Amino acid sequence: MARDFKHLINDVKELVSASARTAAVEIMNGLVEAGPGYSGQFSSAWYAVEPGQQAGGPRSAGGHTYKYDLRNVPAARFRSGTYYEIVNGSSYAAQALDLEDGSFRTQYDADGNILVPVKDPVSVGTRTGSKRGQGSSGAGFAVSTAPLDWYVTYTNGGALQRDLGNGVKIGFRQGPRGGNTPGTGFG
Amino acid sequence: MNYQAIRAAVENPLLSAFGALSPAVPVYFDNITAVPPNTTTEYVRVNVTFGITNEPTLTSSVDNARGAIVIRIFTEKGRGPARNQTLLTTAVGVLETLNNNTKGTTGVYFKVGEINGPTFSATEESPHFMGRIDTSYVATVLS
Repeated sequence: MARDFKHLINDVKELVSASARTAAVEIMNGLVEAGPGYSGQFSSAWYAVEPGQQAGGPRSAGGHTYKYDLRNVPAARFRSGTYYEIVNGSSYAAQALDLEDGSFRTQYDADGNILVPVKDPVSVGTRTGSKRGQGSSGAGFAVSTAPLDWYVTYTNGGALQRDLGNGVKIGFRQGPRGGNTPGTGFG
Repeated sequence: MNYQAIRAAVENPLLSAFGALSPAVPVYFDNITAVPPNTTTEYVRVNVTFGITNEPTLTSSVDNARGAIVIRIFTEKGRGPARNQTLLTTAVGVLETLNNNTKGTTGVYFKVGEINGPTFSATEESPHFMGRIDTSYVATVLS
């Protein structure tokens, strides 16, 4: 039986909210893939928040890159008609995004063991500037796990739009009237 | 895809513009080491990055690239923002000029998006005051 038209407004609102959530998940996973990962904590600190809201800190102690799913964007916090920002809540986010000069740390733990980054380095060598991603392949041990300006490349180079589009498609497929099941459309 | 042609379409006008200033301001591009650390020499660093190439939904052309241009201006710290902003104006002027080009049959057709910034920062460690702008671009290689 066809669905009653009176449900349309609420179903559309639910669909938009679901799509925003899946888009946020896709984008946050895209940011993890594009961004740096040494301890892994930065990758776990992406949040979708309303403008002005405070993001939380890292969700994990590290040791791996974080994988986002819908549990990270609770439905109760996503309302239709509200816009959201995806922000990183780690204390060194501006450095990781190459917006501020980096403050660099030793690559050895207290016992003298080398700390292995959770992502493969994109460059190991001499530091050529004060930003996180400014290293070269010359002699030296400065490790960078994402290229310089990875964030603006993600947002401006097409990957953000791709992940947003994929997320919206997934959200619409999973929505209340998604799919092509006979008899579930509006009558 | 001719990435070098795309890079040249951005880098050459910037190099010319800053080279024409008096005194000329050195411009450093990707994979080139800038001035020695702890000097106050002013300089410009330009990073051209590539995002998605030949995105099917962009156009039917097979030679499109999208990416970002990040320009950082380093001037002496503790002397106010005026000099830095003067140099930023030169950079913004070049980016705006890139949008004036018309699409021909050869070369690179280049369009930049909105310009973000400038934002300014200075840290205790660095002897420089930094101004930063960034923008997106879409480039089509026509030959």
